[in-house]
Amino acid sequence: MPAALEIHGLCKTFGEKVAVDHVDLNIPQGSFYGLVGQNGAGKTTTLSMAVGLLRPDEGHARVFGADVWSDPAAAKALVGVLPDGMAMPERLTGREVLTYLGLLRGLSREVVDERAGELLSVLELDEAEKTLVIEYSTGMRKKIGLATALLHAPRLLVLDEPFEAVDPVSAATIKTILRGFVAGGGSIVLSSHVMALVEQLCDHVAVIDKGRVAAAGSLDEVRGDGSLEDAFVGLVGTSNGGSKELAWLSR
Amino acid sequence: MAVALTMAQMKVAVLRHSMTGQRAGFVFMGAVVGLVLAAGTVFLALLGPDMLTAVYAVWMLGWIFGPVFAGGGDETLRPEYFTLLGLRPRRLASGLLVAAFVGVAPAISLLALTGLTVFGVRQGVAAALVSVPALLLQLAVFVLLSRVAVALLGLALRSRVGAIGAGLTNGLILAFLGQIWVVFVALGETNGIPPVVTTMTRYLPSGWGTVAVEAAASADWARASAALGGLALLVVLLLAAWAVLLTRRAGASKAATRGRRPIQATTASGAVLAKELRTWSRDLVRTHQLTFAFAYGVFFAAAPLLMGWTGMLPWAGPVFVVMAAAMSANLYGTDGTALWLTLMTPGASDVRGRQHAWLLTVAPVALVLTVSLAAVTGGPWPMLLAVLLALLGGGAGLVPLVSVYGLVPGTDPHRRGGNPLRSTEDDGAVTGTVYAVLVLTALTAAPAAIAAEFLGWAGVAVGALTGALCYWGFGLLAERRLLERGPELLDTMRTGHKPASKPGAGGRLPFDSLPRHKQIIIGFCFTVGAIPLIPQGLLAGYLKVSESPTRAWFLALHLPPWLQWPTIVFMVLLGVALYATGVILSYRRKESPTISD
Repeated sequence: MPAALEIHGLCKTFGEKVAVDHVDLNIPQGSFYGLVGQNGAGKTTTLSMAVGLLRPDEGHARVFGADVWSDPAAAKALVGVLPDGMAMPERLTGREVLTYLGLLRGLSREVVDERAGELLSVLELDEAEKTLVIEYSTGMRKKIGLATALLHAPRLLVLDEPFEAVDPVSAATIKTILRGFVAGGGSIVLSSHVMALVEQLCDHVAVIDKGRVAAAGSLDEVRGDGSLEDAFVGLVGTSNGGSKELAWLSR
Repeated sequence: MAVALTMAQMKVAVLRHSMTGQRAGFVFMGAVVGLVLAAGTVFLALLGPDMLTAVYAVWMLGWIFGPVFAGGGDETLRPEYFTLLGLRPRRLASGLLVAAFVGVAPAISLLALTGLTVFGVRQGVAAALVSVPALLLQLAVFVLLSRVAVALLGLALRSRVGAIGAGLTNGLILAFLGQIWVVFVALGETNGIPPVVTTMTRYLPSGWGTVAVEAAASADWARASAALGGLALLVVLLLAAWAVLLTRRAGASKAATRGRRPIQATTASGAVLAKELRTWSRDLVRTHQLTFAFAYGVFFAAAPLLMGWTGMLPWAGPVFVVMAAAMSANLYGTDGTALWLTLMTPGASDVRGRQHAWLLTVAPVALVLTVSLAAVTGGPWPMLLAVLLALLGGGAGLVPLVSVYGLVPGTDPHRRGGNPLRSTEDDGAVTGTVYAVLVLTALTAAPAAIAAEFLGWAGVAVGALTGALCYWGFGLLAERRLLERGPELLDTMRTGHKPASKPGAGGRLPFDSLPRHKQIIIGFCFTVGAIPLIPQGLLAGYLKVSESPTRAWFLALHLPPWLQWPTIVFMVLLGVALYATGVILSYRRKESPTISD
């Protein structure tokens, strides 16, 4: 059984900066995989290369055995992606974005309409039926992004910071959807820097630090006896011995 | 003043950091062209005040209209950066004004305005002294007019009526500027500036500096103070207006809340078409551009009616097509990182859908315009139809092709802040793209025009054929490029600059690997080569053959008759030589590859 996502030796350098340095990850089918790391650790770059949005300098990525770069059509049909901060077709309404994308994905018109309606209502975007995406709030943009990732019923979801700027009620809805997706045999990779969230949702976790994998495996393997946060700080912690206070802020 | 100085320092810092790579090359090229123009303006000061005043009017119009069509003007420091500081609007505006004087464009304009001092020195000490405050105030007026114009247009673009109104007005003004010779001829003046124009340009704020210097020279102190005072008052008023407009900047344009018609498409290409058509009609910046192209075409073609010549009237359609192509030059750039969706659905043909939408938006209007106006003037049918068909195909092919090969990274639509025109940080490059598409699209009609000239109706078939070929072939090339280099294009869009790929990573243009000085020489050749080749060579030749009375700025036509043809030939050769130098320098590198890895 091929892995849902197999990342092997991915490297990316921007100018002088090595953003991703030989990253290997194996996301088994049916797993809920969390990718944690500090800002600028290379999570987004790794995920972009894994789904074919950024060309790696070295290495390869396979989605259910299909190489993202040599067999993009097969690989991309199986994956749903939520990138962080990218533009959408801004002058369409939420429903129109889903219709547009569903047709691009080769779905039939009836299926598109049915799924779009359901996604909009579950994600509570149906009230903004006449609002163009350009006028969406950050949280609404995340939700319509998630809807586009789910629309074609992919077998793998790659989500970059899916909960950022999303209100608690919507976050609970999204968690339910994602758990249901995994329970139904789907696989998820998500990146986050909220440890509690990853601990709550994921069964596997990888810690990325300075473009390398600092630790990877099942949640229990990585966190050991303590919390994920303790393990994380232990793995990527800075040498100055913890956080410092700003003396001038207290009177 | 502290605020203003800090903002100026901030701007210097930002400019210093952005002067890297290709961007620095563009800025350098722009500066060279600007310096040549400024030096030319100063030289005109030696010829007398009339020409100088007319040219300053052109500089002023450049400040007003330049930003409208190329990236929304200099907004290195966005007003939004300072909203949390709680500055009073006047203080914010004065600070931003001081910062606005930092940069290449104001420096070049300042140099051009020293023409006033050159003129003043020749008139005496008093005139020379008056010229100094005059030129400084004049520069402040230019910079402020530019800011106020962009802010006003930004407001206009919040409603469809505003967008259409602004498009019509801008089209009218620029079309008449493009056809200014018609005005001259209509006024019965073919060998110089008619008196009406010299009077009018003195009424414009761009002429008040000259008025002040002239008055000082003739010791008319009341008039001199009035002119200087007028400039100072204008600066104060514009600053106040700008301060008010800055407080009105609030987010992107509001969309109408009326019912939206659902997408009816059932196929992938139909979906792209539906998306594009909706973007064309809902994005008010695009509405403005299309209206502008339409108005430009109509007024450009109608202007010669002033002197009773109807021959140009039916060309409104073709001119509209060329302008519409130029306005949509950076098609993929304006959509920003939305390209990721295209990359995730490799089977759907995005380019074809966009071509189809462009044609559906432009072609019906162009056809109706051409046919109805040609019916009025009675032809020339074969030539018009041949050129129109060729241009429609050429534009539909070139727009996507140029936008994927010469992509200028844009600012994502949802990040443009209070200035909807601010589609990119790189206005220089986007201006270049607009002109490139303008010229290239016009060139695609050449075979059809030649065929129609010699073969009559057979030319229409040639136009249809070249149009179809451009549509199909250029579209195919664009599609391939998107498939092969899509991730790199997305990366360019995301980061704002070309990915600095490693040698051997493939797909790197030879241009990028050239040393800086060669890039600058090549850039110079390609930018400047068009001037001798097209206007000074081919166009001058055409005017000579057609025995037109126009001489305008065509050097050859100002020379004694026996020198005219040699000069035209020389200009054509010079243009070709410049292009050839550029091409040879670009590709010579291939023959001697460096050892890189």
